[in-house]
Amino acid sequence: MTIRNPLRDHGQRYRPRIACLKKLQRHTVGEDIITWLVDRFQMDTQEARSFGSMLVALGYIYPLQDHKRLVIKPDASLYRFQTPYFWPTQQWPVEDTDYAIYLAKRNIRKKGILELHEQEHYNRLHKWMNHKWDFIVMQAKEQYRAAKERKKPDRVVFDCQERAYWVVHRPPPGTVSAMDYGLDRLIDPNADEAKTPDFYARIMIFTQQSIMRPRVKSSVSIGALVKYCATYNSHDPFLSKCLPSNPWLTDDVTYWTLNMPYVEIPTKMRVERWTFSFAELLSDPRGRNDFRLFLKKEFSGENLAFWEGCEDLKWGEAATMREKAEHIYKTFLARGAPRWINIDGKTMEITVKGLKHPHRYVLDAAQTHIYMLMKKDSYGRYQKSPVFKETVKKAICPEEHHFTDAQLEQNSKKRRPSLSPIILRQMEQEQRAKMAANVDITQVMSKLSKQGKEAPPPPCPPPKK
Amino acid sequence: MSRWRRSVDEMGVRRQQDECERAQSALSRTTSCFQQLVASLGSSADGSFLRDEMDETRGLAHRLCCGLSKRLVRLLSHCDSDPPGVEDRQVSERLWVLFLSAVENFLSDLHKACDLIGRFPLRQRNDRRSLVNTGCTDGVVGVAARVALVQAPWVTLEEQPSPDLTNHIAGLEALLTELQLRVPVAFWEVEATQPAWVEGHGDPDDPDVTLEELMEVEVVSNKMAACCQPACCVLGRVG
Repeated sequence: MTIRNPLRDHGQRYRPRIACLKKLQRHTVGEDIITWLVDRFQMDTQEARSFGSMLVALGYIYPLQDHKRLVIKPDASLYRFQTPYFWPTQQWPVEDTDYAIYLAKRNIRKKGILELHEQEHYNRLHKWMNHKWDFIVMQAKEQYRAAKERKKPDRVVFDCQERAYWVVHRPPPGTVSAMDYGLDRLIDPNADEAKTPDFYARIMIFTQQSIMRPRVKSSVSIGALVKYCATYNSHDPFLSKCLPSNPWLTDDVTYWTLNMPYVEIPTKMRVERWTFSFAELLSDPRGRNDFRLFLKKEFSGENLAFWEGCEDLKWGEAATMREKAEHIYKTFLARGAPRWINIDGKTMEITVKGLKHPHRYVLDAAQTHIYMLMKKDSYGRYQKSPVFKETVKKAICPEEHHFTDAQLEQNSKKRRPSLSPIILRQMEQEQRAKMAANVDITQVMSKLSKQGKEAPPPPCPPPKK
Repeated sequence: MSRWRRSVDEMGVRRQQDECERAQSALSRTTSCFQQLVASLGSSADGSFLRDEMDETRGLAHRLCCGLSKRLVRLLSHCDSDPPGVEDRQVSERLWVLFLSAVENFLSDLHKACDLIGRFPLRQRNDRRSLVNTGCTDGVVGVAARVALVQAPWVTLEEQPSPDLTNHIAGLEALLTELQLRVPVAFWEVEATQPAWVEGHGDPDDPDVTLEELMEVEVVSNKMAACCQPACCVLGRVG
């Protein structure tokens, strides 16, 4: 991590210069740190503030007030330098054992009144480290008593240091710490790989596949890239503004609530994206719903239903695959099926033959055919239809937020976790059940009237509840 | 005859286990004090007194570890040879797991100590300028006194020269691997003897309950000293 190396070389020499200035005091003040950074490194105040916040987030300096917010405040807030034992420079592993001992110590001191996240960690560690729990409790008691032997001011300082260390390495909910980098990878992607026969075999396969790939002129591919960038430039939350505001910057989640998968009224940007390509329209659940509504009015909803059935087969569970394939055949492909789709004879032949031994991709050819049909035919008509025009009219364009610093602090305190994926999955399943219940058989009726003198088709199954 | 023999053996085993338990708590005490000393390395409280105390504490811990490892190996191999009581075996295994955890913990502190001493060598007077002002002034005398009070049965008997830091680390690592290979003990079968959250209910004679309030008070008093204007200060929940 490059931010650490400069500190390892320079920080150690430069940091004590501040220490010399404040030799007799036990603390230093936020604005003094920023002023010193501006002087020493010839940077402007904004950059010094960011750099100072980085130092706090890494754990080299810790705040005395509001210890859970790891930022540097350019006012008279108090800070202290962390002792080298608790520095992150040497990348010593942060052991769960040590954290368990710390929690046990806090439990002893606070007589059982720990914060919620600490209680959760404690219970989890008690379960997973049960075999060394006696050691943890014994060590916690001994460390507690050893700390009591120091003079009171030093003891308070040490406790502040330890607490700051654990705020950085086991951040409470709502704290942004620079050490929060996620899970450790098993393999270091930057390390050199061993030159085994397997390694060379992989390189050979990769090269062969590269040769076999179809090629395109660079002017064409670059043109496609340019077109993509031009189209999506205003929709990219990094390159252009995110309305009403980017939740990652302002901690305000309106943007996410307005863009939920099955929201009633979509935003203007979202609706514009549906016009970029058919794939965009289908991949957005709200867009797909709109398209489905349009097809229902046109009495050609069976294409989309078939396409969705094929997707379900491709990505679904292996146990129910056979039944799904049979159900799709009976509903869409068989002669006289209730929602018969119109595919050419050759594809139908291939599909029916494949269905004798069904697997995940048996309906791929038919699905591609239907997809192209919808894209070339229905998609164009959809964009000119009253359904779409209505949606465009109703789409909202939220106003941009302008938060003051105080409001930003408020927002950061109100941060909450978003909906659990379990709940999202349940909502999706409810939606799907609703869809299945509303299978429209109106197009069957219209087909009947078209077929006229032919033998009537077998009675269609009633819609499942 | 055999029952009498077995009860004598059991008493011997029990005595050894008690000795090991006392040594284990002594080791805990020593390593805790060592941690307090190492936490002051590189800060303004660092000095030759601190480093001497660290070496002494380290030497004591070394003697404790050596003696304890020998006795534990003897205890567990004794359990293997004679048909043991299940409880005896469980107690011995528990002591074994506690000892290995303590050694691992101590080893990590030793690594940190070695690194920090390398980073802040106090050979010349100028080197003191590189120390970080953390707000601590001094005060490890009490800790040192606590270490001096640590007792274990064999500490005075078996006088061994304490090794220097790098050799100590290497020796402990070798000991750890050797112990783990020699005696197969299933870690996960050892259970804690006390349930969770119990330690919070102890120590009625603790006058220093309000350390959190102490931290808050110190912050307030420092603030009053630092800034003259009564700025809008929301201290927030300390701790």
